Amino acid sequence: MKKYLSVFKISFAQEFAYRLNFIMWRVRNVMQIILVFFLWDTVFSNPGRVLFGYDRAKILTYVFGIMIVKSLVLSARAADVAGDIYRGDIMNHLLKPMSYFKFWFTRDISSKALNLLFAVGEFAFLFIILRPPFFLQTDLLALFGFFLSIALAIFIYFNLLFMTSSIPFWAPELGWGSHFLITAIVIEFLSGSLFPIDILPLTIQKILFISPFPYLIFFPIQVYLGRISGSVLLGGLAISLFWAITLWLVMNFIWNKGLRAYQASGR
Amino acid sequence: MSRNSFSIFLSLKLSFLIFLTGKILRFIFFISFLFFILQGTKTLAGYTSNQAIFFFLTFNLVDVMAQFLFREAYRFRPLVVSGDFDLILVKPVNALFRVLMGGADVLDLITIPPIIFAVYYVGRLLSPTTAHTVLFLLLIINGLLIATAFHIAVLALGIITLEVDHTIMIYRDITNLGRFPVDIYKQPLQGILTYLIPVGIMVTLPAKALMGLVTPWGIVSSFVLGIVAIILSLRFWSFALTKYSSASS
Repeated sequence: MKKYLSVFKISFAQEFAYRLNFIMWRVRNVMQIILVFFLWDTVFSNPGRVLFGYDRAKILTYVFGIMIVKSLVLSARAADVAGDIYRGDIMNHLLKPMSYFKFWFTRDISSKALNLLFAVGEFAFLFIILRPPFFLQTDLLALFGFFLSIALAIFIYFNLLFMTSSIPFWAPELGWGSHFLITAIVIEFLSGSLFPIDILPLTIQKILFISPFPYLIFFPIQVYLGRISGSVLLGGLAISLFWAITLWLVMNFIWNKGLRAYQASGR
Repeated sequence: MSRNSFSIFLSLKLSFLIFLTGKILRFIFFISFLFFILQGTKTLAGYTSNQAIFFFLTFNLVDVMAQFLFREAYRFRPLVVSGDFDLILVKPVNALFRVLMGGADVLDLITIPPIIFAVYYVGRLLSPTTAHTVLFLLLIINGLLIATAFHIAVLALGIITLEVDHTIMIYRDITNLGRFPVDIYKQPLQGILTYLIPVGIMVTLPAKALMGLVTPWGIVSSFVLGIVAIILSLRFWSFALTKYSSASS
């Protein structure tokens, strides 16, 4: 446990070593929120309007919720595993008396802690400037469901990242490309981090809800907003748990296959 | 130079396919999102569905063309950091042209024709006059001129600060705000996006010109801004060259 605490501390400090890199990443997140906020602000310029089942307060809370949930779920360092593999650096880690998965999970947690810290600051800053109507959830059960769904989302995302990062075991040149396609495009759009999934036609929603993606961002925020509760909430949490376990097993399978195929190029 | 750039990219077939799929998917996801919103709202900031989609397509046209032409700018930093920029400076080719346009992006070359077709198709639905169409084309060229000025300024800044990657991504993020008409933003952001960082002039104004919604004063001032931006960026480039220290070479 002590060694992972050290990894946490070092990772935290490391983020500050590349301050400009980190600040730019946060600036980019804020830009994206501004785009989405003003789009929905325009759509709901009439305060009494209800569209796609959202009123102005709930849709703008969704937009602000994206900031916090994204910093908790989608902030991660495990994407760097791909680089470790194609550069051959993974060999250094595998020889150490430390679980490679736990090492990266600790780094992810460190990244999430730092990003959350900044996201809260940005949240407060944008909230003061934009003064949106905000829906404050007070139901303890909904809040418990919200935090539980986030914990599962973090685990689902960790597995998805590791699976994507495993591709260079077989195709080293696809490290960045696969993350661009899966992380930056597919997960970004299908998780609900740009718009709520339920504005899409019902058929597309049904297909998407079979996949793990909506359980990363959309589902936790819906739970917070109280739009999902009771048996639907339990069903959603069960599907999240199913994906967390299934992806963990699949990721382990892929990882073990990858290690056997690995030629340690560059070493 | 562009042929070499295409050959390098095409040699990595799988990587090429993945990036192309990613770009196409991103476009499809965004336009679907806009389409489904407009199905519910019918209008966006007072613009009809077709007009709102046309704004989005115009943004894509300018953005993709700028990326196609200026992709080499994304590879500038290693040249400066390693000192390899010396090798470009001593060659009998304009150094700015080489680092700005020396490696066109084949991916964007593939995506440009469908976007042009989509712009033409949706643009026709707006029933523009010939004069408005000509203005649209001229303002698109003006938008590209401003994009050129931005890229030159980023390169010049790269020589002085050794920082290119982030400034160019910030530029991309700011231009992304032009996906929708800048009218959706409240002041002072709308003013900033129109005059200070003229995303509005780059992408919103051409689309408005096709719809006949631009005043003569707006057209003249946007062309003046385009010319001023390119002159200033060239001066900045010349100044930055005097600061190049040829470190690491």
